[in-house]
Amino acid sequence: MSTFAKQTLNVNGVDTVVHTAGRGEPLVLFHGAGTVDGFDFTEPWTEKFRVIVPYHPGFGESADDPSVDEMHDYVMHYLELFDALELDTFHLVGLSMGGYLAAKFGVEHCHRIRKLAMIAPALMLDAEHPMLDILALPGEKVIGALVKNFDVLKPRLPENPDIDFIADRYRETTSLARLQWEHPNDLKLPRYLHRLKTPTLIVWGAEDAIVPAAQAAAWQRALPDVTIDVVEDAGHLVHLEKPEVVGRIGDFLSA
Amino acid sequence: MSDSMRFDVMHFMPYVYLPDNHKEFASTWVNFPNRYYDPEKAHGLYQQYFEQLVLADRLGFDAIVLNEHHNTVYSMMATPNVVAAALLPRLRRARICVWGVPPNFMQPNRLAEEYAILDVLSEGRLEIALPLGTGMEYWANSVSPVTARERFRESLKIMLQAWSEDGPTTHYGKHFTYRYLNPWPRPYQKPHPPCYIVGTGSPETIELAAELGFGYSSVFATQARAKELNDTLRERASHHGFTLRPDQLPLLTFVYVAETDDEAEQEYKGHLRRFYEDFARSTPQWLAPPGYISVEQLKIRAAGSDRLHGGFDFDHIRESTFVAVGSPETVANLLGEWAERMGTNHLNNVMHVADMPHWKTTKNLTLFAEEVMPRLRTGSPKPAAVAG
Repeated sequence: MSTFAKQTLNVNGVDTVVHTAGRGEPLVLFHGAGTVDGFDFTEPWTEKFRVIVPYHPGFGESADDPSVDEMHDYVMHYLELFDALELDTFHLVGLSMGGYLAAKFGVEHCHRIRKLAMIAPALMLDAEHPMLDILALPGEKVIGALVKNFDVLKPRLPENPDIDFIADRYRETTSLARLQWEHPNDLKLPRYLHRLKTPTLIVWGAEDAIVPAAQAAAWQRALPDVTIDVVEDAGHLVHLEKPEVVGRIGDFLSA
Repeated sequence: MSDSMRFDVMHFMPYVYLPDNHKEFASTWVNFPNRYYDPEKAHGLYQQYFEQLVLADRLGFDAIVLNEHHNTVYSMMATPNVVAAALLPRLRRARICVWGVPPNFMQPNRLAEEYAILDVLSEGRLEIALPLGTGMEYWANSVSPVTARERFRESLKIMLQAWSEDGPTTHYGKHFTYRYLNPWPRPYQKPHPPCYIVGTGSPETIELAAELGFGYSSVFATQARAKELNDTLRERASHHGFTLRPDQLPLLTFVYVAETDDEAEQEYKGHLRRFYEDFARSTPQWLAPPGYISVEQLKIRAAGSDRLHGGFDFDHIRESTFVAVGSPETVANLLGEWAERMGTNHLNNVMHVADMPHWKTTKNLTLFAEEVMPRLRTGSPKPAAVAG
């Protein structure tokens, strides 16, 4: 068992919390638009990698910055954070919105990414298989839609959500809404994805109710070097429902 | 506050023909299916409501108050300026108050123009309020609730500039760019119609009203809270160099007058219940879209129960909010006492709620004008406790 060490860095005025564990080549995780799922699933990677889990501004333990109002601001934020961490090249894993952010980072800076893994990347427009508009749903319905087997998520949620829990979710949803209330999808990203030449693995739960696994085909068409791994009997948080995919991602990154 | 007491009538113009199965829907706002809207029935309702407001004008009410809501049975005024324009030629002397169009759902120059036209048409009888818009409206419009407050402030600045400064002027802001801000027409009243901010008392909104020296009307606040808000506003306004007049603090009341207290209660209670339970029925999600309020405000609001958008307890509502139901004497005494306590001489009375039939509304308006107004316009009212 590795223990994550927590540090807080002031990145261009934003107190940014980063958790780090393990030794080896650096592996950065970009979390999704909510943080209730936690990052303890990254544990197996710490045997081979130095796992670095930053919280995005406006999410989890990091501070808010209302001027961070488009995804490119997050790309800039991470360029500055990686400077502060003295990270030159690294493996990158992105979950859901974090997958989209990883792709956005990658089309501009793919030479810094050794290998890329994305889990159910969100927010890329696929008109034929639109993602669920999670901003339109009450919070409890979004949480219910995250997994096929709710038992894997249940222990991570409070039995009776108190106002602090609800307020934390409201804050993270606000941060998401800041990015995409008026424009829920990035219409331009597909145009630039061919620049992301990094070897990439995309893992997707076949029964993802948030971002349909059918969107994988669009990524397959757009990315030059991509492997798609669709996992049966799993939803959006496939890494929680099928822990073996965590191992497969680790193997892909270290191969 | 005798002769100068001002009496407004506010009408929500609800769409009253709810389907039998409406209780199956958690909310009658935002996503309540519009297949239940029947334009022929709506036409009849507009005729009836207009008749009520024309009657109010003839009876001597000082102003007619309209407002804006979207995607709901609560109000048939998605664009109140259209309703105001239709109503204007039928009014003889009453002011027309559009309280108001949320600037966030308009281009600010365009809203400045619409209000200017209404002001010119009415020879300066227009008053306006500038609301942020309820959370519900942000689900219905293509404007982010996250940046609503900063966008709202910028819109107000543009509107005031358009009215107060000779054009063309320019505006280069975050949300809007005007290379030639030069609207024709300009308001009849100089520099612009009287302005109010309407809100539920968020600190940001109070501060904005104080900064601009605008009037303020809190909606659906408890008596204690409304008093607190008026006091805060006066204090903040004076901090910014303004002295608020009593008429700049209109008090929103729900009023029903009948021959006796018992009759009034009998005739009114069911409609108020329907107002709370059916017409104002919303959900926490609709009330607070992401970023519409701060996390701190969310916690404060969650701590206090929301009496409007939920259950109905007549006695509690009557004791804690401004609902005056009873004989002319009872109503006059209550209103007089509240006006005094709130430091206002301006009553904005909702006299039709929910599915109240035409006859009750016209009776309410008539009794109020003939029996309540004279009591409040002369002499000081007795305390309510004495009036039984």
